[in-house]
Amino acid sequence: MALASHRHISSCLCSIHSSLCYSTRPEMERSSLQRQLANLKKSLFDQGNLDEQFDQLEELQDDASPNFVEEVVTLFFRDSSRLVANIEQAIEKSPRDYGSLDALVHQLKDSASSIGAAKMMKECTVFREYCDKRNLEGCLRSFQKVKKEHSTLRLKLENYFQLLRQVGPAEKATRSGN
Amino acid sequence: MDPSRAASTPSHGPPGDGGGPAPEFPAGLRVLLVDDDPTCLKILDRMLRKCLYHVTTCSRAAVALSILREKKGWFDLVLSDVYMPDMDGFKLLEHIGLEMDLPVIMMSSDDHKDVVMKGVTHGACDYIIKPVRMESLKNIWQHVVRKKRNELKELENSGSVEEDDKHKRSLDDGDNASSGCVGNWKNAKRKKEEKDEEEEEMVDEHDDSSNTKKPRVVWSVDLHQQFVTAVNQLGVDKAVPKKILELMNVVGLTRENVASHLQKYRLYLRRVSVPQHHSRYDAHFGSNQEVTYNSIGSVGGYDFQALAASTQLLPQNIAALHSGSRSATNTGMGVSAIDQIGFLSSGKQVTNSSNIISSSVQQINSRQMNDIRGPSNNIALNQLGQSQQVVQPFGSINQQFGEGTTKFFGLPSSELTNFSLPGGTINEQPNNSLARHMNQHGQQFPISQQSCNMDITWQGLPHSRGQLLTETACHDSRLVSALLQQVPPNNISNHVSGRLETSANMLTSLPANYMNASCSTSPQALYPDVRNSFIIGLAGSCYPPVSSIGATPLTGSVKALSNSSNLKGMDNHVPDYDIIDEYHQNKSQDWKLQIVNLPYQSGQDRGHGQSTIDCRSSLMGNQDSTSTAKNVLNSNAGTVTKNIISTRSDIDKEKRECIDQHRTNLVENCNRVNYDGIPDISYQDILFEDNIITNELMNVVRKQQQEGIGQVDNEFNFNPPV
Repeated sequence: MALASHRHISSCLCSIHSSLCYSTRPEMERSSLQRQLANLKKSLFDQGNLDEQFDQLEELQDDASPNFVEEVVTLFFRDSSRLVANIEQAIEKSPRDYGSLDALVHQLKDSASSIGAAKMMKECTVFREYCDKRNLEGCLRSFQKVKKEHSTLRLKLENYFQLLRQVGPAEKATRSGN
Repeated sequence: MDPSRAASTPSHGPPGDGGGPAPEFPAGLRVLLVDDDPTCLKILDRMLRKCLYHVTTCSRAAVALSILREKKGWFDLVLSDVYMPDMDGFKLLEHIGLEMDLPVIMMSSDDHKDVVMKGVTHGACDYIIKPVRMESLKNIWQHVVRKKRNELKELENSGSVEEDDKHKRSLDDGDNASSGCVGNWKNAKRKKEEKDEEEEEMVDEHDDSSNTKKPRVVWSVDLHQQFVTAVNQLGVDKAVPKKILELMNVVGLTRENVASHLQKYRLYLRRVSVPQHHSRYDAHFGSNQEVTYNSIGSVGGYDFQALAASTQLLPQNIAALHSGSRSATNTGMGVSAIDQIGFLSSGKQVTNSSNIISSSVQQINSRQMNDIRGPSNNIALNQLGQSQQVVQPFGSINQQFGEGTTKFFGLPSSELTNFSLPGGTINEQPNNSLARHMNQHGQQFPISQQSCNMDITWQGLPHSRGQLLTETACHDSRLVSALLQQVPPNNISNHVSGRLETSANMLTSLPANYMNASCSTSPQALYPDVRNSFIIGLAGSCYPPVSSIGATPLTGSVKALSNSSNLKGMDNHVPDYDIIDEYHQNKSQDWKLQIVNLPYQSGQDRGHGQSTIDCRSSLMGNQDSTSTAKNVLNSNAGTVTKNIISTRSDIDKEKRECIDQHRTNLVENCNRVNYDGIPDISYQDILFEDNIITNELMNVVRKQQQEGIGQVDNEFNFNPPV
């Protein structure tokens, strides 16, 4: 569903883009964009990809830091990709080293929690539990899930921000209206 | 209150609401944020700024610590993540708590109860679960306020540290006693004046270091002396803060101040393993331990306190105190003779003691201590011999001792290095001198802070010893060593040894447990102090210090002395004082001898001690008394004398005497440390090797320790041979 909406949004964006040239009905476009944005966001929340922490982030954004959320999310993905790679490496090299594996996952979890990546957090928790139980298979399985969620979220949020940019600064006010 | 609404935007932070000029608290709160995760860091930083706080971020704990150290007092609060790659968040928490005492809030997405509990036990003010919400951060200022209020409360009661410093002179009672600062004591003494001032100032700074820091009551030497006196009067075990407060009758002092001080004192005493009276010292020492004498600057009073704490009134004081009426001071002193020395070191410590010590030290210095750093010894002595009686003779010894002791005590005063641990009696009179010395030396004696284990300084640090002593909590060891060493160095060695012997005897007689106990229990700080004081007072109060002395490199007699003295002096300050006091009562001068006698049961070197004691009796003043003292001591410590003996050799007799007396006192109090391990070791030699009292003492102690005690490697492990 989310993907569908993505496509939808993308197409909308295209159309909007073209229509913008004329600015015939900017409001309509904008409002439509806004709607799309809202829908996207909603789906993200509904899907459990994001939680209220994300709202907090948005609240932090203001005139002084207009792109705060995007910056943070970008930062997050950059850092978390590194962490994911580390975990992957750790699993390959010393899969039995649950201690260090646990530490790495914990870091990832902390990071995810800060932006409200709920699903990812959950998967990390599961991962950690498997680590505690020293269940390698469980660890591997959950790690896969973590990776999957990580990339899914990244994609979604990229779209989100793209849309956001499309909507423009006027959207800022409405954005919070989740 | 909503910080974001705070009026006046602080200089930092977002343009905020702007409002009134001065940012209303908590706006402007200076927060240090530590988190290795860049995302979290960014988010939290933003959130905090939204709260109008002033934020400094860093992603590594080591960096955070260095920032905190560099800019002491700049920050109000620290927010730290728990899981960090370079350093565990809890470790950072500990460091901050110890060094800067700032409120720290831990954060983590880990909400397991045990982790949260860990945060609590490590001293975190709060534990926030990630993801952190704005609301949680909005209220973190409460921790700062709370802390400040607590500190202020204390301060108010006893006056502010600064005031104390300023008051030094005027404050005779050292009001603002605070568990932390001994500096005020110094003020009272003023003799040291400069020292005190400096020290006290340092204390101030020290206290101010964290801006929000505590309004600690500064337990100046005088104040501490009063405290000790009061405690002695009431009986260490029976003393309750309320009564102590009444007895002390100090304006501005609250029951809480006294209570915490008492606690520290008791710890100190315990460390000294002379459970007897000088629990008071324990309190001091306890607190001192942490006090790094280094800050001796502030020591004037503060460090001194630390010193004092550790040394808690050099045995001198104890002894001196015991001498009777002096009890108030003496005991305070006596016990803390070492402590005092330690205190002295800290600068302010018991003014009395310091005075004593300084005076004694001076005396000693002048007299015998060739090297005696001079007043330090006296100071030490003074300290020890808070009891004036003893002090007198001791004065000289003290000087020597003082130096040594100061060393021991970590007196900041470098002078004191020779702190020949005033056997304890040094206390009184030379109080000033001693104290001064102590202070001076005290500085030197960071008292084992550093070495934590007696190993410190003894080894030879004549001056350094002092410093060493002061430095560490190990004061004890240091002190002892310092004392010991100091003792020997100066002519006092003889005396010292004599005394040491006695003390050694005492020490030895003191149940090994004592010493060990005290050694072990008392946080190192005590020990060093104890040791020193112990040495002085080696009176054998079971100072493990004696042994501990051994432990510390004190080698030899110093060890013994220190051990005994430490034990006695320090923890036992209180108890020792009794012993010593007894002696002193009869003869303050004999005191010296007594000391010798006391512990000196073993007599090994008793002869030495005695003889030396006589020799130097100048310090002690009573050759005869020495003999008497000896007897007395013997009875008490017996074994301690051994220690004394060793120290004797080096240290002037006076020193020894002082020490001995101290020891004896100590010994008596504690239980005679069985300084078996130490005995024989020519403490004297060891102790007295160095000319500088401190050195001598230290050496002696060290040697003794090494030889005899051997075990002392850490803190007074001495296990009194018995």
